[in-house]
Amino acid sequence: MKSATTIYQEGSHRWVVIARDQAKPGFVIDTNEYLISRDGDNLLTDPGGSEIFPAVFAALATVVDPMSISRLFASHQDPDIISSLGLWLDCNPQIRCHVSRLWDSFIPHFGGDDHSLQAIPDEGQHIPLGLGQLEAIPAHYLHSSGNFHLYDPDARILFSGDVGAALLPDDHNELFVRDFDQHIRHAEGFHRRWMGSNEAKLDWCERASRLKIDMMCPQHGAIFQGDDVMRFINWFAELPVGLSTFRHRRHS
Amino acid sequence: MSTQALQHSSSQQLASFVRLNEGIKGVVLIAFQINIMALNAILLAHRAGEVALGFGVISKELRTLSVELTALMQALSSDAYQAVNLISDLLRRERRQRLLEATRGQLAAPLPALDTILAERLQVFQNRALQVREVRLRLLDRLEEARKLCQFGTAISRSAKIEAAYGREYGRALAEVSQDFDQKIQAILPSIETLCAGMQRI
Repeated sequence: MKSATTIYQEGSHRWVVIARDQAKPGFVIDTNEYLISRDGDNLLTDPGGSEIFPAVFAALATVVDPMSISRLFASHQDPDIISSLGLWLDCNPQIRCHVSRLWDSFIPHFGGDDHSLQAIPDEGQHIPLGLGQLEAIPAHYLHSSGNFHLYDPDARILFSGDVGAALLPDDHNELFVRDFDQHIRHAEGFHRRWMGSNEAKLDWCERASRLKIDMMCPQHGAIFQGDDVMRFINWFAELPVGLSTFRHRRHS
Repeated sequence: MSTQALQHSSSQQLASFVRLNEGIKGVVLIAFQINIMALNAILLAHRAGEVALGFGVISKELRTLSVELTALMQALSSDAYQAVNLISDLLRRERRQRLLEATRGQLAAPLPALDTILAERLQVFQNRALQVREVRLRLLDRLEEARKLCQFGTAISRSAKIEAAYGREYGRALAEVSQDFDQKIQAILPSIETLCAGMQRI
């Protein structure tokens, strides 16, 4: 079963991570979901695939009434991100899902319709949450062609989707990165193969380095905090990614 | 019945309806062949003249039978299509029901709102299952109708054999045609029986 851990709290403003499902089937990739609450308004990032819906819902129920989650944010269109949408809509037909405009006619194959999906324009947008607001930040081609991260300027937390993700061994259960150099080895292969464009990567690194980020929260693996955030951005900027590295590896 | 058992049962039903549709295609093909044979037989009887008047009448009957059988099979196919759609929807609902039940099972404390949703979904699910049952019963009625039609076809194809005996110089040709009729009708009957048995087992 997944567990819910509060990683930030300031009054009613809170970030909770739902992570580490020890009971999940081995063939399903482990994911992190983040509940962002403010002034009674609840938003869930990358709510996950339908097979892990019971674990996510049950873990959420320990910290919030899951029926009060009114909005979802999908960084992109993959099944491990948003295939549970139909189940969320079964529980709350009024729920709205923010996602890139590229996917608002693809995701309904998982559930939902033009009413339940709120298209985010390519340049991004502000998403109100309680009395504050979040920023949907473009991260196109990292890895999806219609891809967004979610920045909370008051909490100084960036939900970074697949950027910063690591495929950790089963015995690595820490929520936060403790040893950057050790940890990043589990992220390298993923970023080389999944991130398709050096140009998109450098553009993202340049923009991310200008944000004030205390925590960078990926959808897989552990959370970067403090100096490790900039350490990651610098590491990522240097990492060769995309087709050229793939070709090189294929012929070597 | 558990959701998993229901899912298994729906999967079996889906497979049966898909098999039914395949079986229908076989019957439609034979009905088409009977139609062409009957048309040729009518022309042959016309050439033979007075000695094949009875044979001509029987050929027309067989042609009418093949048209009726084709129409019946088209209606069956349309019902099977509807059933496949309904059962596919049922399977999708069963999967969601299973996941929502698993969610309820993992909750540390009861969540009445979730219980209400599960009860509503179960009601919709049961209505769908009822619709599938209605389509299945309609299919069985149509298959019974098809079986009776084929039994009538068997009788008139035998009459065709008798009429062929009066065909004088056309006797051999008419006998060959009546033999073909008989073989085709005999080929349809087992297919209809198999389809009936398949539907009754669901």
